[in-house]
This record gives sequence, C-alpha cells and structure tokens, in this order.
Amino acid sequence: MTTYNELAGYRVNYLSADPTLNSGNEGQVWYNSTTGKLRSLVQIKAWAAGGNLGTARYSLAGAGTQTEGLAFGGLATVNQNATEEYNGSAWAGGGNLGTARRELGGAGTQTAGLAFGGYITTVQSATEEYDGSAWTAGGSLSTARRYLSGAGTQTVGLGFGGFTTVNVANTEEYDGSAWTAGGNMNTARRGMGSAGIQTAGLGSGGFTTVVSNATEEYDGSTWTSGGNLNTSRRFLGGAGTQTAGLAFGGETTVNTASTEEYDGNIWTTSTSMSTARRLLTGAGTRTSGLAIGGFVTAASSATEEFTSSINVTTAAAWASGGNMGTARELLGGAGTQTAGLGFGGFTTVATNATEEYDGSAWTGGGNLTTSRYGITGAGTQTSALGFGGGGPSVATEEYDGSTWAGGGNLGTGRYTPGGAGIQTAGLAIGGEASTGATTATEEYDGSAWTAGGTMATARRRLAGTGTQTVGLAFGGEASGAVTAVTEEYDGSAWTAGGNMNTARRYPGSAGTQTAGLAFGGGTTPVTGATEQYDGTSWSNTTSMTTARQALGGCGTQTSALAFGGSTGAVSSATEEFTGAFQTTTASNLTTS
Amino acid sequence: MALFIYGTAINTGKNFFTAEDRRNFFLRSYPGNVWVVGNSEKGALWLAEKNGVEKTKAEAQAIVDAEVTSAQAVYDALPEDQKNRPGFNQRPTAITLP
Repeated sequence: MTTYNELAGYRVNYLSADPTLNSGNEGQVWYNSTTGKLRSLVQIKAWAAGGNLGTARYSLAGAGTQTEGLAFGGLATVNQNATEEYNGSAWAGGGNLGTARRELGGAGTQTAGLAFGGYITTVQSATEEYDGSAWTAGGSLSTARRYLSGAGTQTVGLGFGGFTTVNVANTEEYDGSAWTAGGNMNTARRGMGSAGIQTAGLGSGGFTTVVSNATEEYDGSTWTSGGNLNTSRRFLGGAGTQTAGLAFGGETTVNTASTEEYDGNIWTTSTSMSTARRLLTGAGTRTSGLAIGGFVTAASSATEEFTSSINVTTAAAWASGGNMGTARELLGGAGTQTAGLGFGGFTTVATNATEEYDGSAWTGGGNLTTSRYGITGAGTQTSALGFGGGGPSVATEEYDGSTWAGGGNLGTGRYTPGGAGIQTAGLAIGGEASTGATTATEEYDGSAWTAGGTMATARRRLAGTGTQTVGLAFGGEASGAVTAVTEEYDGSAWTAGGNMNTARRYPGSAGTQTAGLAFGGGTTPVTGATEQYDGTSWSNTTSMTTARQALGGCGTQTSALAFGGSTGAVSSATEEFTGAFQTTTASNLTTS
Repeated sequence: MALFIYGTAINTGKNFFTAEDRRNFFLRSYPGNVWVVGNSEKGALWLAEKNGVEKTKAEAQAIVDAEVTSAQAVYDALPEDQKNRPGFNQRPTAITLP
C-alpha cells in the first residue's frame, strides 16, 4: 500500500496538540492524539464580489491579475472599444481600442496587453497592443477569426482555435510584432477557456458541434490531450497556467457558475461563482482569479474574485465602544483604541472637557485651559498635543495624562487643521485661518512651531495622520467644495497621493502615511464611509454604524477609535474599528 | 420580504453592537436613536435583545425628520456671527432612511 509519506513527502506526525499553524504546515497531515482527529490545513476556496465594470458587456477579452486586471472590447448593444483597468476593488477607464469589436482574444498584463481577432460585421485579424494607457496597432493574425482564445504575453503571445465560417484548429504565435503559425489543435473549436503561456498553453471546453469537455495542452509546437473538464461547457472564462488552471462559468445548455481547478492532469470541481453566466472573460491565477462581465439575461457588469487560501479572512468591522460623558463635535483626539483621548469641542457652547478612554469606558481628565472647538490633537493619552481651534486660535496645549499646560503658539491661528505626530514632533496642516483656507504647515518641536512645506491644495476641515516627517493630509473643503484630495509629507514637502473614493469634510483619521484610515465626515448628508490608504490609493472598507462628521479619531489602520461628532445633533457615540485579518485554521479529515 | 427592520433603541455603549453583529447583519444608526437593521433572524434578535421598539419605516423616518428639524432650528437660532464663524459646522441636512 502506498503511504502518505510516499505520496506527499511528509510523514503523518503523532502530536498531542495542533502545531503552531502557518504556511509551512500546508500539505502536512498530523494526528491530534488529544482530540483523536486526523488534521490538516486545507485550501479554503471562495468567490467574492468585486467592483462592477463601468460598461456591462459580454464576449469581451481580459488580461492581467486579480489586482491589476484589464478588460477590453466586447458587446453591449453595440461592439465596444472601451478598456477598463481593475485595481483589486474598482474598475477605471483606460484607453479605447482602435477598433471596437467583440469575440476577440486577449493576453498580457494591465500595462502590456494584447488584443487580437474578433468580430465587427466580419471576422477580424487586427492586433492591438496596450501600454497601460493607449492601444497601438500590432501585426495581424494570418487567420482572421472570432471566438478565439489567447494566452501568454504581449511579446510572447498565443492565439488558438476560434471560428471563421467554421471552427478552426489553427494556432498562431506572436513575438511582439508578427504572428507565425504554431501547431494545430487536435480538435477545432471555438469559445474555449484559456490559460498559460506561449510554450505552455491550455485550452479547455468550447464548442465543436456540441459543447466540449476536452482539454488540450500546448508545449510551444504541439497540442496534446489533457484531463477532461467535469462539466462540458462553452464560452467559459479561464485563468492560471497549464499546470494550475482555473475554468469558470460558461454555458452547458444553460448558463453555469461552476468552477473547476486544473493541476496539469485532472480537473477538480471547486466552489461556484455567485452569478452563472456565459461569454465572460478571466484573468489572474488558479488561487487568485478574476471573472469579468459576460451574459446573464443581458450584458453583465459583474466581477467576481476567486481566492484559494489556507487562511480565512475575517472582515473588518466597527463595534460600539463606551459612550463619551459629554456629547460633542469638532473635538480633538489622540492616542490609541485602548488608551484614547478626546478633548475640547462644541456641545451647545465651546467646551474644555477632556475624557480618557481605556478600551471600554470614558472617564474625565484634566480640562483644557481654553475652551474651544475646532481643536486638533496629536500624540498619546499621556503625552498629547492640542492646537488651534476657536478664534481662530494660535494656542497650543500639552497634556501629561492629567493636566494641560501651555505650549508654544502656532504661527498662524486656524480652525480644524489636520494633525499628525507626537507632542514633541507635531504637525499642523492647513485648516481655516482668519483669511480663509490655508496651505500652511507648521512643525512643533515640543516648545515652538516653525514653518514647514506648504500643501498644494489650500483647504479647511481636513484630516491628518502619520508623523511629522511622514505625514498624510486628506479630504476637507477646497474652494468651497468637499474634496477627496490626498497629500503626503516627507518632512519638508507635500506631494500628491491617491484621491479618496468619497470626498468629505471633517473626516476622522487614524494610522500612518502608508496605512491610513479615514472614517465618517460630511458629504450631503453626513457619512459613515470608511476608507483605507496603502500609501498609493484608498480602498473602501466597512462603514461606521453611526454616520457623522467633525468627530474625534485615533489609533491605527487596523485598530482605530471614532468618538463624538455630529449626526445632525452632537453625539457621544464611540466605535471601535478592527481591520480585516486572516487566520490559519486546521480542519479534521474524514473518510466521507 | 423587506430588506430592513426599523426601530428605536438606546445605545448603551460598549458591546451594544459587536464586530460580529456588524459582520452578521446590516446595522446603521440615525438621529433620534433610530436603528436600521438587516431583516434577518440575527438582526431581529439583536433589536429585541437591545430592548428596541420596532417601528415602521414611515414612523422611523418621522423620528429622524423631527430630530433633523430640531437640529436645524437650533442652528437657525444661532446669531448670524456664530453661523458664519469660520470653523463652525454646517446646518444639518435632511436624512433619508434606506
């Protein structure tokens, strides 16, 4: 009898408890003598909804990865030339194809894509190359055709199968400028799923005179038979490689959502997509795939993301914290989720009240010397900085965990500047001076403020986070309108960052320049929308339960605190944010 | 089946709603202690456990409208110099429940 050691290269360990789990345990099987169970890490597979295409369509082509995807061409009510780029959560418009067409082949990446063949009112041979912003003409296919399949890259591409006036078995290889003949497929067909590269291609399913389950593998010159799909289908999506392929969706006699994974020999049924559809396209890998568009009962904009991982992701969430003793808005905040500080603000009048949070309840702290609203905070619960606010004020105060004491005055008095840093290295960013919204930044050294670099965009009611030398400013009002603009500070100069998805005034903030968090704020009306910044772009995460603006915030991107603010009326509500996290979990192995 | 349950409940603070609650069902609060809860078994149980009083959507919207109107009246009653003072908040705007 073959042993597990011979099959997998691991022995089945006899352990009194599960080992500390990590990716190194993948593929291992152990016996837990305490529970009497045979245990292993198993891949957990799921499709999750992604951002919708801007243009719903089918018979389109795709390329790239799950986080850098590309969709182009296709058919809505007319042939499409639109290109869209996916960033892992949303599609944005790219440069249009020179020739609008459907039923085309695709290959490559988001910044080096390849489109070829297809159909307008006749079959097409034209090839176009994408550079991340525009398409330019490439060499034409020898055999014009539609419903063909593509694989590989822009400079080492592969086109195979398809339909002229009959199904064809032709293969062509692209070198970045011209197509040359490759080996013919064994079975002429159209509407396959495809994967791989020019020297290791994969074609599965499709239509001959019936829907097919056949798979063929290409080695750069010859096609040979691979394992059959479990479900015969045509007009499916494909992703991955020849030895780690993914086939999904398509049409049997009806649309299907079924997904199969290929290991180079055998297709195994995996978890199904949420939306059954045909004439979709795919991108990505076997463990990180992307299903794009297609036809349901009409052209679809749906995008789904396939993930196969030993880790289970727990979604981010906001939970209620202890209510503040004094409901207020336009307050300052500092500290962490379990050691937070809220001070000043507006109830029905300006207040000097300070409250300290311990992770479950707020208790009174020392009062500010000067009652004010529009004050901004930085630092920690026991070493905080409060500056600006009512007046507009130049006053700075320093908190030691019990008492506020005067610090050096700001050079420019201002309401609601953005704030960052710590008590001895603080940053005041923009805000509303007596002359209006300002670009001015000031840096605090523990005793005095000095001028820093100026932001590109003058604004008020913004938020800041990070440190004095690695700061982040976002949102607010510029030229009288809410803004989504983000700027990054390096200790001397501000440069442009990625725009927020939701423009807003008075957001709450937490985190750092490369791991920032924005929550709540004013749009029309107030919002609870929460976004995460990764140093380049903002992505949406779960919203606060209570939408509000002019709130206090502190903490990190994965452990933040939101408190107070205005829902229309002043609020005492506190919410605690926990970012998404992954856990590795072992499963019991059974014989069924 | 309706998408949401509407009700009023007093936010008592820590653990009034948990991260697990947020992952399990839709939950949003609005002025007037109005809560909009995903219409599921878990959502309904949450509102009941929080001593919530279920409302129709129209009743819940009326509570929110009254709160916003009240907040607008407070704002409108402010002296003009306070309304126009830099750094001050805006006049509350109408909120439409989902």
